[in-house]
Formats: sequence, structure tokens, C-alpha cells
Amino acid sequence: MVEATRPRSPSSGSPPAPPAEESAESEASQTTALNERALRLAEFYRGKIETVPKVPVRSLRDFSLWYTPGIAAVSREIEHDADRAFHMTGRWNTIAILTDGSRVLGLGNIGPQAALPVMEGKALLFKYLGGVDAVPLPVNASTPEALIETALRIAPAFGGINLEDIASPKCFQVLEELQRRLPIPVWHDDQLGTAAATLAGLINALELTGRDMSTIRTVMLGAGAANLVTVRLLVRMGHDPHRITVVDQRGILEAERPDMDEMQLHNRWKYRVALETDGGGRKGTLAEAMAGADVVLAASTPVPGTIHQEWVRSMAPHPIVFALANPLPEIWPAEARAAGAAIVATGRSDFPNQVNNSLIFPAVFRGVLDARARAIPDDIVIAAAQELARYASMKGLSDQHLLPTMDERDCFPHVAAAVAEAAVALGIARVRASREEFFEQARRIMARPAALVVALQESGLMDPMPDEPVPPGKPR
Amino acid sequence: MKRSNPPVPQRPPESQAHGAPIHARLATEADLPALVPLIIRLKRLNEEFDSMLKVRPDAEAQAEAVLKAELKSPKSLIIAAEGAGPDKDKVVGVVRAAIRERLFYMPETEGVILDIYLLPLYRRHGAGRYLVEHTIAQLKERGAGIVTVEFPAQNEIATRFYAKCGFRPITAHHARMA
Repeated sequence: MVEATRPRSPSSGSPPAPPAEESAESEASQTTALNERALRLAEFYRGKIETVPKVPVRSLRDFSLWYTPGIAAVSREIEHDADRAFHMTGRWNTIAILTDGSRVLGLGNIGPQAALPVMEGKALLFKYLGGVDAVPLPVNASTPEALIETALRIAPAFGGINLEDIASPKCFQVLEELQRRLPIPVWHDDQLGTAAATLAGLINALELTGRDMSTIRTVMLGAGAANLVTVRLLVRMGHDPHRITVVDQRGILEAERPDMDEMQLHNRWKYRVALETDGGGRKGTLAEAMAGADVVLAASTPVPGTIHQEWVRSMAPHPIVFALANPLPEIWPAEARAAGAAIVATGRSDFPNQVNNSLIFPAVFRGVLDARARAIPDDIVIAAAQELARYASMKGLSDQHLLPTMDERDCFPHVAAAVAEAAVALGIARVRASREEFFEQARRIMARPAALVVALQESGLMDPMPDEPVPPGKPR
Repeated sequence: MKRSNPPVPQRPPESQAHGAPIHARLATEADLPALVPLIIRLKRLNEEFDSMLKVRPDAEAQAEAVLKAELKSPKSLIIAAEGAGPDKDKVVGVVRAAIRERLFYMPETEGVILDIYLLPLYRRHGAGRYLVEHTIAQLKERGAGIVTVEFPAQNEIATRFYAKCGFRPITAHHARMA
């Protein structure tokens, strides 16, 4: 039995001193134990999802309905009206998880083959949380054009495409072009999912500290996919772009920075943000950016101490600090608190206020698939964020409860219904229904996979974890 | 503008007669400190396109010396672009051009745009086009019957921009390492 051991001794010394229970030593031993177990279980189960029939097969004669000759009639009907595929095949609920493996987790460019276990895990999350049938598809694609071409070619099989773990800025080009060229929703979780979850947390943090989006000054630390999209969404929600200061490794991103011309050639998305925000009227370093700011949204380097306590002290009263780098936040929550932060969020589940894109993507896809939305425009992303924020505040908002946790899975059908409703309102839904109807459908579909897993386990068709004791009375 | 306004960052207004948020004028020696960094930015941009355009370590001193000499030369034209509104006195762009004699072709006098650079924030709203047209008018005044422009062959943005301005390739300039 492998149980994560709790900390023994706090680390001695190397600044900044993390809180006692987060000592590097216990962190390392926990990680090692987890890694070993993941390896063993991967080899035991050999894949995390499988294809399971969803129609009765009483005898082989039924195949004349599910397959030839009967199925030809279904094909003929779809040949006449392609739209019928959404009614007569699994296309309505099936998405591709497409990756070139160019930026997988924090592992970098490990390629498509090594990306497969991650995509399988994502497919499991999609199914278990969102009721979405997701097909892991790591592909050999050395250029953005090849990846785009691949997505266009496979689109007939899918009701949506989830791009995953693609390097920035390539991911912007791929998403933009596919959103333009495909009549089905295309999503890139590292851009949109993370941005939406951040936005949801920020909406509630502003509420708790009595602030208004239109007057705050915000520092964005990191100019990767998520933060660049977050800037776009913030501006869409009424944040003054001239009060946003984006900071990357070279300091404040402003229109006269010496690397602007190079940026225009190699990362026009970041270049545009530089022009639009122009450093929020500031030049220089992170320290200069943070002075007087209301909010810092950090999605940069997983090194505690990236944000100094004194810089938090220099912020406006009751500042909001989101230190979202994983696995190590840019500043430990306790340190941010000690420096005056009113609200602290991280990307980790072991601290309060986890900003987690798993709260967003299953529900967004449930919503756009149920409404058969043609696309996922920013207004839908914002609608998802607002609904997630609303759900958390309905459950009682506090500086320790900014967002729902993964234990509050009731939030998913609510977010899905809000997404579907937004698609209808935007005129991009091919299914029109009321919010209540979308909610009921989402709840029903989302409840099924968990019940399925229980049924498979209880019937013995799914092996129990080999390293866990079998409950009494259960066959092994 | 009222003085009581809080110091919010401002864009240059787009209220110039030509629609561009810049104003072009002949440069003077007083502009040198502002012009040199702009020339260097352009050279570094060119380097991005081609390793055979590697910028010399003494490029800054070179730019200063060259501009200083050209400001005095009748065969040269140096234009400074200024911002508008709050940026009225700020140099945000530069043009380096020359008058050359064509020994075998007509028209005999050629105006060459050697370097042209605008800071990113001032590039939109037709500012580049305005600066080129202004330069062409100045070269014409100095006798040019034809205007040419030099830029890295790999710079597709420039290729498209000058095509829109009515330029087309006439000679090719190829290179290899010796």
C-alpha cells in the first residue's frame, strides 16, 4: 500500500522558506511514491479507456442492423444530408484530443508517442466528468500546417476537437485557423480552459474585495498561451487594456521593447498584446509592474520566490495574488498572505482556491455538444467562467472558497447549461432548447460514466487496483 | 487637455490630416540621439531575416557617423517622423534616403530609400504609407525621376507593403559568403 507520507522535517534554510508541510523533502518523497504507483498501474491496466458497445447484441443476426446490409440505409441517408450524422452516429458526442506532443505538461517537446498516456488520461477526464467520448490522437505533425491539415481531415468523425499540449505560439495559429475553417467547436485547453478558470476565480476575488473589473490594475506574470488569452478575455469583460501590465522573462512587455520587431515576426499574438496594453503605461521589471497593482495573475515559472513578498507589500491594499505555476507556485500562499494578500489562489489541489481547468473543459464540451454549437467564441468562454463563479458564490464565497473544488461536481451541469444557453443566444447553436432542458440533459449524460465505472467494478468486469485491499465479499 | 486628469496612458490621437498618427519633417543634428537607436532597431530586424545581414558590433557608432555626415550631404535625405498629441515632440520613426545618378538608364536621377523604420505603436492607420509618400515627394523635389527601395529579400511584410505602394522588383541583389 502506497500512502503519501506526510512531512517529517521542515527544510533548513534555502530561501524562501516554504511552509513547514511543504518542505522539499516531503514533496520529493510524495512525488516519487506517486510516480512509482502510476508506472505500476499503467502497466497493469494498459490504457485508461476502451471502446464498449452501446447497442444490444442478442445474436450475430443483429449485426445485419448495426452493420451491413442494414447500415447502408443509414449511410445513404447521411450521404443526402450530412447533418444526419449528428443524429444517427456517435458524432454528436465524440471529440478528438489532438496533439503533436510539442509541449506536454511540464515535460516539453516529448513527441506524439510519449504524449499518448497524457491524452488517454485527458480522454478519461472528458468521459468521467463530462460524459464526452474523447479519442486520444497524438499525431506526427512537424509544422502547424500539418497539424491543421490533420484536423481538417479527421473532422468528419468528430463533433468537436480538443487541441492539447501544443507549444506556444504555434497553438495560436492552429486554434485560430481551425476555428475559422471548421464548423464544429475547436478548443485549446491550455489557452481557453486555463484562462476561463482564472477568470472565474478573478470574478469572485473582485467580488470579495469590492473591486470592479473596469477600474482595477492587473499584472500578468508570464506571456504564454493562457495569459495572453486571459488578457483578451479581461479586455472583453471591460478591463482597461492600459491598466494591464504583462511581464515576461525580459521584463514589462511594452510597445518600445527592443525585441518587438522580432516578436512581430515570431509571435504576433504576444506582439498584439504588447501594442494593446503597452505595459499598462510602465516599463521595467516585475517589481515596477506590481507597485500599486490590485491583482497579479502569475502563470510563469514554477519557482517559489519568483514573486517577492516585498512586491506583494507594494501592491494596492487587500491585493489579489494568483500564483498558478505548477507544481510549485511563484510564491507560497502563506508568504503571500503574510505580505498582505487578501486572496491567494494556486494551481494546486492541496491549497485552498485551486484554479483548475478541469472545472471548465468537461462542462464546456458538454454544453457545446448538446447545443451542437458551430464554434466556441470568447463570449462562451466568459459565460462558462461566470457560471463557475456564480456557482461558487451560491455555495458561499470566502477567501478560502473562491471556486468550486473537484468535490463539488454539481457545478458541471450548471456550467454546461450556461454554455449551451450562451451558444443559443449567440445564434451558433443548431439545437435550441431551454436552459433547464440543457441542464437536465447534461446532468443525465454526466452522471452515467461514474455509474458505469461502479457497475463494471461490481460486476468484476473491471479489475480492482492491484495494490489495494479487496473489500470483503468481493471476488478478485 | 485639463491638467486635473489622472495620468492614464494615452494613445496618439489619429487626428492628423493624412490620418496617420505621425508627422514627417527633415531631420537635424539635434535628432541624432533619437535617430541612431531607430536605425539600430531596423538593422537588428533585418538580421532576423537573414544571417548574411549580421549586425556589426560597432553598428551604433557607425550609424551615428553615417547619419552625421548624411545630414550635411546634398545627396542624402534624412527624415524624422514625430508622434502626434502627447507624443508631438517624440521622434518615432526615421527614413534614410539618397540621391543617385543612373549611369546608363533613364530617368537619370534615382531616389533610394535605404532605411525606413517606425516604432511598432505608430505603424498602423496608414502611417507607413504616409511616410513613404512623404519621402517620395521629397526625393522628387530633389530631382528623382524614379524611386527605389532596399530591404531584405526574406521580408515578406515589406514586399507586400511596397507592392501596395506601387513598387515592383527591377534588379535582384544576390549574395553568398566569400
